[in-house]
Amino acid sequence: MTVLTSGSALASAASAAPKPRRSLAAYWLIAPGVAWMVLFLLLPILMMVYVSFWTQTTFKVEPILTAKSWVAFFSSDTYVGALWTTIRIWLVVLTATLVVGYPAALFVGLMVRNKTTATALLVLCVIPFWTSFLIRVLAWRPMLGGQGAVNIILEKLHIISQPIEALLFTELSVVIGMTQIYCVFMVGPIAFMLGRIDPFVIEAAQDLGAGFWRIFRTIIFPMSLPGVVVGAIFVSVMVLGEFATAAALSGHKVNLIGNIIVTQVGSLKWAFAAVAGVVLTAVIAVIVAVLLRLVDLRQEL
Amino acid sequence: MHAPALKPVLAIYTGLFLLFLYGPMLVLAILSFQTGPEGGPQFPIVEWSTYWYRDLAGLNPPSRIAPLPIESGLFRSLTLAFMTTLVSTTLGVMSAQAFRKKFAGSGIVFYLIVLGMMVPGVLVGLGTALLSNTFGVDRHWWSTAFVLHVVYTFPFAFLVMLAIFNRFDSSIEEAAWSLGVTPIRTFRKITFPLIFPGVLSAMLFCFTLSYDEFSRTLFTSGRDLTLPLAIYGTFSVEIHPNIFAFGVLTTLFSLCLLVVYAVLMTASVRRARQTALQEEA
Repeated sequence: MTVLTSGSALASAASAAPKPRRSLAAYWLIAPGVAWMVLFLLLPILMMVYVSFWTQTTFKVEPILTAKSWVAFFSSDTYVGALWTTIRIWLVVLTATLVVGYPAALFVGLMVRNKTTATALLVLCVIPFWTSFLIRVLAWRPMLGGQGAVNIILEKLHIISQPIEALLFTELSVVIGMTQIYCVFMVGPIAFMLGRIDPFVIEAAQDLGAGFWRIFRTIIFPMSLPGVVVGAIFVSVMVLGEFATAAALSGHKVNLIGNIIVTQVGSLKWAFAAVAGVVLTAVIAVIVAVLLRLVDLRQEL
Repeated sequence: MHAPALKPVLAIYTGLFLLFLYGPMLVLAILSFQTGPEGGPQFPIVEWSTYWYRDLAGLNPPSRIAPLPIESGLFRSLTLAFMTTLVSTTLGVMSAQAFRKKFAGSGIVFYLIVLGMMVPGVLVGLGTALLSNTFGVDRHWWSTAFVLHVVYTFPFAFLVMLAIFNRFDSSIEEAAWSLGVTPIRTFRKITFPLIFPGVLSAMLFCFTLSYDEFSRTLFTSGRDLTLPLAIYGTFSVEIHPNIFAFGVLTTLFSLCLLVVYAVLMTASVRRARQTALQEEA
């Protein structure tokens, strides 16, 4: 849904037809929004960068510039470890959402040629989003626990004889939870791009004797790539900024950068929190920039 | 498609995928009917009961399990979501209206606005907390948290309205202008009724996103908790089925919102169509 709108937004931003009248009016209309974003979005981020160089004492920070917090961050095994954990979880979840989501998107976007059915299926995927994010995370606890639904079902089917304890309060449970929550952001954009493939192109390929895999490799996948990239950007940004899923499902075993920020703020270590924040910002910026390099979105959408 | 076996396989897969999406919520809903106060948040169901729903309503005798602190949080969250919806939708309509014409710097402004929904909540939350500390501004849910809720939801309203204006036929407006109607009157009488379905969608987005938002609120709401923060607080302690019952209720509330939206939407689309027909006649 978001992609639908942002896709057309990109297009409209690029192709807004120039009109001669009321040239100043646009600036008056846009000014409040821009002011709001500069004051409450850009300024806080810049402040975070600035404070990361302040001096941290026991309970407060003082505006005396130093790189101490930065040195402390990168010489601590806990913090650097959290950075690697964040990147590892991001990679695993990104792959998992793609692998789990792509077949579903293939069905919704390509196989269902009836527009109403396709929309209904997409709406079914989106409805869980109307429920609270935190409740959705918490719902995995009774699923994955030692006496959880998954273990009970597996035991009833005689697949396992003893409950798998490793399902909950491990890295695996965090990955499962995140995959379920963010998968739809992958499915939506991909299904949207697949829905735009002209069925005659595929038919023509079939008539010329191409098998499914060949068609998939040469037509379907390349044409869905912008959707994959948009989905990957959504999933990446959200997973990298996460802390709640790890807090709820890992039993404090998984520490992401987000969790580090939360604990540092909790103990009033503002400068350390700011350093972690800047590191996270940098990681996200690099990943999004790389993803944007993969396809020219403005052109593809 | 040629591979004949593929379609049914993918159909079954999609069914399983939907089960994956809905399964946890179903289990949670079933377990919310666990007996209390001794029944735990797991299977088996000792006895079916509505104990935890009555617990939420404060109808049960006091037990060792503390009630969820949701009452005041609910009021704050609803007020906050309402304020956010008003401001974000207004900003969204204004900005999208500005974007109907290309102006110098429109590219940068577009990315600046969209950045608001992309930057993770922890980061803006942290930055805002640092700012308010430095300037000695107290943090409250209705001040610092509210400001960030708008930063988060305004881009959604903006994108929705951009999509609406993109398909908008501006010849009616031009007709009004050429007849000497002031731009403000034209907007009120012609443009706004036509874009109202879009405005409704933008409002729905803003309300639900704000109602559920917590990573931006965590560092910026000060002492008073919003509803999601109250839920987040239970993460660190033992959970009880009362939170499951609450999850079911809050889900039903969101679905009710969706139904209200659908009803209003149908009505307003019909009205917009009538307005358009009148203009044509």
